[in-house]
Amino acid sequence: MLRLLLRRFAGALVVLALVAVLVFVLTRLASGDPVALLLGDQATAADIAQARIRYGLDKPLTTQFVLWLGELGHGNLGQSIFLQQPVAQALVDRAEPTLFLALFAVAIAALIGVPAGMAAAIWRGSAADQAVSTVAMLGASVPSFWLGLILIQVFAVHLGWFPASGYGDPGTGFGQRLVHLALPAAVLGLLNSALIIRFTRAAMLDILGEDYVRTARAKGLAERTVMLKHVLRNALVPIITVIGLTVALMIGGTVVTETVFNLPGVGNLVVRAVLRRDYPVIQGTLLVIAAIYVLINLLIDLLYTVADPRIRLEGK
Amino acid sequence: MQSVTPPFARRRTILAALAASASLPWASALQAAPTRGGAANLAMIAEPQGLDPMITTADLVGTIMQHVYEPLYTFDANWNVAPMLAESLPTVSKDGLTYTIPLRKGVKFHNGREMTADDVVASLQRWMELSPRGKSVGAQLASLTAKDPHTVEFKMKAIYAPLLAQLALPSGMAAIMARESIAPQLKDFTGTGPYRFKERRPDQYTVLVRFDGYNPRKEPASGYAGKREAVLDELRFVPVPNANTRVEGALSGQFHYADLLPVEAMTRVEKAQPAVVPIVTRNFGFPYIVFNTKEGLLASAPLRRAVQTAVGSGELMAAGFGDNRFFTAEPNFFPKGTPYYSAAGDKLYNERNPQLAKDQAAKAGYNGQPVRIMASRQYEFHYNMALVMAEQLKKAGFKTELVVVDWATLVQRRNDPKLWDVYFTHSGLFPEPMLSPPQLGDGAPGWWETPAKKSALDAFNQEAVIARRGPLWGKVQQVVYDEVPFIEVGKFNSLSARSAKLEGYTPAIWPFFWNTGLAK
Repeated sequence: MLRLLLRRFAGALVVLALVAVLVFVLTRLASGDPVALLLGDQATAADIAQARIRYGLDKPLTTQFVLWLGELGHGNLGQSIFLQQPVAQALVDRAEPTLFLALFAVAIAALIGVPAGMAAAIWRGSAADQAVSTVAMLGASVPSFWLGLILIQVFAVHLGWFPASGYGDPGTGFGQRLVHLALPAAVLGLLNSALIIRFTRAAMLDILGEDYVRTARAKGLAERTVMLKHVLRNALVPIITVIGLTVALMIGGTVVTETVFNLPGVGNLVVRAVLRRDYPVIQGTLLVIAAIYVLINLLIDLLYTVADPRIRLEGK
Repeated sequence: MQSVTPPFARRRTILAALAASASLPWASALQAAPTRGGAANLAMIAEPQGLDPMITTADLVGTIMQHVYEPLYTFDANWNVAPMLAESLPTVSKDGLTYTIPLRKGVKFHNGREMTADDVVASLQRWMELSPRGKSVGAQLASLTAKDPHTVEFKMKAIYAPLLAQLALPSGMAAIMARESIAPQLKDFTGTGPYRFKERRPDQYTVLVRFDGYNPRKEPASGYAGKREAVLDELRFVPVPNANTRVEGALSGQFHYADLLPVEAMTRVEKAQPAVVPIVTRNFGFPYIVFNTKEGLLASAPLRRAVQTAVGSGELMAAGFGDNRFFTAEPNFFPKGTPYYSAAGDKLYNERNPQLAKDQAAKAGYNGQPVRIMASRQYEFHYNMALVMAEQLKKAGFKTELVVVDWATLVQRRNDPKLWDVYFTHSGLFPEPMLSPPQLGDGAPGWWETPAKKSALDAFNQEAVIARRGPLWGKVQQVVYDEVPFIEVGKFNSLSARSAKLEGYTPAIWPFFWNTGLAK
């Protein structure tokens, strides 16, 4: 078990090192100049050159890379060019909306996806199964910005139940911030429930065909017991996997929703940093997002070993 | 143009004589005196590029920080220069070189200390060191001194007519700061304005709160000039780069003010009346096409003229802005009725004559090299205009190459004369011609430097009397049409919206929220 985890951890470090190199190289390969944007239209080439020195952008790329690695070694993600704050601080500020949005949305997706997938599997081929499959297909096809704008139109502009955008006024409490997250979480939850529905249905159908399910029924166990204790429990591994993947996808994939709802989250930060060519923010944020992905994968591996003893044995 | 996401990132000016028109920014808001208190949510087009109003000329930074800092001079409702921290207009020596400026007494900084001439000198020195606008003033300055605690004196090397306008502009502001707060990178935003800085959460909000020690001017409010009163307790500038989100936020009542909406939203905003009030600002800005006069195909002036002959500005404006309530295609750089209105060069505007252009190009030795047209899709109207221009040039026998890049790339590439022949951008329309476009100055992309430019601009800048400056501007405009360093395509209007609850708001180019309150 320990050896398995150590092996995974070493692999994760290699992945992060590769990401660091890739992110730096790709960011600097992209054309564009943050300083020219920062100074505005009246700035001359001399003004821009002078300001580039202030941000260390005049140094050779290899020097900049080595300096960045040195900073990373000290746990410092660097200083944003535009935000006048450390990248780590910017990320901490942005983490809350993204994290709560992702969790809120996954909760909605799981609450819709698992029961609907189970129902579709239990009544396979019925009208209910058809309806669930159709809804899942729609959910996988609808663009999030379109659904977002529709929800804003209906629930914010016409009904006035929810705010149209943002994350609450200065000084508002957590409850108010959750209200601001309701519509974007509904968008992401509805769209991501499609994947969970399909996985749950497929996993349940696999298990329903197993011998031990027939045996359990033959023993005269109540259908509810068969479903919950034998079928659902054994289907949990793929379902946990897909829910975990959904969390990971959401943390990296909230970009469009955060943009439409003007949420100050990590996705929004990355988009704006790319547009502004705020190199330290792009590099630091992508590295942290990669680390989160790697960590979630490690956690999923760990959950596997809890849910399925055979995996534990393989590690030995 | 400089903001990263929003179209119309620079603000402009409507000029004096237009102020009679009801569609003007200064159209007076005939409303009851606003109620004191409350907080206003103000949706802006982006996160400001910092809060230092000197370092950047971005209008957004000026818009926010004009509540915190004040300049010596400002503009009244007729776009005349009016005193703000100065007690009155300067006394100018007979030779036109020395400006003696009396300062107001009893003006308090946000830290409670009284402003003196030393603060003014220290602030303006920083401005001339860091601000692109300040540097152009600094180049003309012989000395700046504090004559006594309430008087400063500018000595210029030569007559420099734009001085007061440069000191008055909110973007790239000549902001007066408490000298103890001055640093290369500002951390302490101590000004004299009616609001003081409270908190900035980047990409979420910038909050300003009322400064209770504010000492307003006694004259009635007029444009940016006169009495300023912080009626609202708190101003919250919220960056909302997505234009649709700004529209929905305005319609749902979440925002009390939403800046620069897409013109397509006009119908929805009109339908939402009376709860939401549309604000159309005429002559807000102008799109312009910069030509590379230094290298490549269009370093040849006759070829630039051939391109100008091929271009139909009316079609370009229609492609860029669609709804003709939001643009005008006219040859004069400044609106009719303003001091700088001139029809000079009008025969060369909007010619759209492919045959003549073809003949001119052949005569100039054109042999089929592509014209590289650089534009960004971040400003959809730039891109749409570039597409139409490419077609117009093809009709005149030019080969074209459309180089579509994002804005960050464009502002980098335009500094390299090897990479482009023309590029699209836009600017606010300011009350003083020398404030924009930067191509009228030195060293801006395009690198236009000719004897005709120098002679026309020298004459213009050394004439301080506006009545005589007007005709001299016509001569500058004629040189622009003759040498084609850029084409001013036309003028566009902007659309913003406010909640009916926002009382006392006076539409303005750089929106301000003093003298503004919320209905209970």
